Amino acid sequence: MKKIFNIQNALSILYFMGGLALMGGIWELISSLTKNEIPSPKDTWVVFKEVMQNPMQNDPDYKGIGVKLLSSLQRVAIGFGTGSLIAIPIGMLMGSSKIVMNIINPMVQILRPVSPLAWFPLGLAIFQDSPQASIFMIFICSLWPTLINTAFGVSHIPQDHKNVSKAFGFSNWKYITKIVIPYTLPHILTGLRLSIGVAWMVIVAGEMLSGGMGLGYFVWEEGFNGGSIAKIIVAIIIIGIVGLLLDRIFMYLQKKFSFAV
Amino acid sequence: MSTTIAPSINEKSKNIFTKATLQPINTAYSIEIDNVTVSFKTPAGVYTAVKDISLSIKKGEIVSIIGHSGCGKSTLMSTISGMVAPSNGSVTANGIVVTKPGPDRGIVFQNYSLLPWLTVYRNIYEAVDAAIKDKSSAEKKELVENNLKMVKLWEHKDKLPGQLSGGMKQRVAIARAFAINPTILLLDEPFGALDALTKSSMHVELLKLWNLDNRQKTIVMVTHDIEEAIFLSDRVVVMNNGPAATIKEIVDVPLPRPRNKKEIVHDESYMAIHDRLLNLLIDKFSINDIH
Repeated sequence: MKKIFNIQNALSILYFMGGLALMGGIWELISSLTKNEIPSPKDTWVVFKEVMQNPMQNDPDYKGIGVKLLSSLQRVAIGFGTGSLIAIPIGMLMGSSKIVMNIINPMVQILRPVSPLAWFPLGLAIFQDSPQASIFMIFICSLWPTLINTAFGVSHIPQDHKNVSKAFGFSNWKYITKIVIPYTLPHILTGLRLSIGVAWMVIVAGEMLSGGMGLGYFVWEEGFNGGSIAKIIVAIIIIGIVGLLLDRIFMYLQKKFSFAV
Repeated sequence: MSTTIAPSINEKSKNIFTKATLQPINTAYSIEIDNVTVSFKTPAGVYTAVKDISLSIKKGEIVSIIGHSGCGKSTLMSTISGMVAPSNGSVTANGIVVTKPGPDRGIVFQNYSLLPWLTVYRNIYEAVDAAIKDKSSAEKKELVENNLKMVKLWEHKDKLPGQLSGGMKQRVAIARAFAINPTILLLDEPFGALDALTKSSMHVELLKLWNLDNRQKTIVMVTHDIEEAIFLSDRVVVMNNGPAATIKEIVDVPLPRPRNKKEIVHDESYMAIHDRLLNLLIDKFSINDIH
């Protein structure tokens, strides 16, 4: 049995609490300096509880925070999912062929640094639909980390592994399933982890532009336009925590599929 | 009567004919390296690793290739395995010109080259599965089991390579090479990374495996260890320093088998061979005085 509660864990919890207290203190200070223009942690907590009251309420005129969160997550899943389905095979092709790498890499280098916001009007023009445009935005922004990491992984398969395949006459299928994929998986998962982070960052901007649904809309409409800074802060905290959870899921997968040499 | 004799003569002559076309003149040789040169293109120009090497190895013979680091001994071996194509000359294994790796040649790599995400069992199974086409999966599993038991690793079959010691990894690599039942076994500095004690017992293990098979397998081993080369081999091929390395001398090791690791070192002919190899490999025996 592993000891879960040892000194190391206790200490790190203590540090975490200390960090929270420090942040709360600074928050409190800013709040009092701005004469409650920025709401204090206590006031925010009141709003937080209010927001959390009926999270799954789904009426035409009012949608609870949980419903909004789920709709954001759904769009992230679609954009990120299709993006990854395209990025992984293309990345594998790039990694295994110098020619494909030379053809695709310049495009990747040009398109990768483009701001997510620049893609939105293009998506709107293509799909004539603002929710789809925000999915398009996520799709195109979350492609790159997975693409680049997959290509890197495939192109760095050690000569030793290739030699095994050659020496024992592995078929192409066996080479891909027994060498390429297992070796590349940790790299792909690193790419996916970075991509989901990008996707989650982009969704809020996308929903602010498209309006109507999701957490981004909540921040803009109920927070800013509704004149409640506390709601903006609540949304920021929720977005942060969900982002952390998504990251942890991929971190877990990354660890699970890494191997000791 | 004459009708029955005629076809049998015909058949006989046909057999001779096919044999003659398939196999070159010296059928007794398991490996024939004929005037092989290997050059690589590098950014700095063409680099010749080995030059004009000819060497014939008999079936069931154990031959060591010894030389300093970078003398092209591994490159020479790779031409036998088919991993490297000679720029000039040819290599014939079991009567067929080598163009690519094949299941008749088992390779044990310098750094074990096990796939770290596969268990010990899967590492061998995947190799057997890929190399042997005409067996059922039950027969393949039996081969894996037999070979793992042979190197005494059956109880470790579900471990990943990362959980094994260096000696155990090497035994897995040897079991993998034996499992495809090759007629030729190619060992590239197989025991280089092992400590002296493990190394010694691995030598004995290897000879045991060779004996189990009635000494039918031809073994070519690259090494830089003189004692290892003498203990295991029938002949030791000493290479010149590279680039464009050639064979400096081939030293016979006529010591009777089975050889005993402890006794052999006191044998006079062992000592003579050891001296000869040492002379060939090392020019200076003492550091010159400063004065």
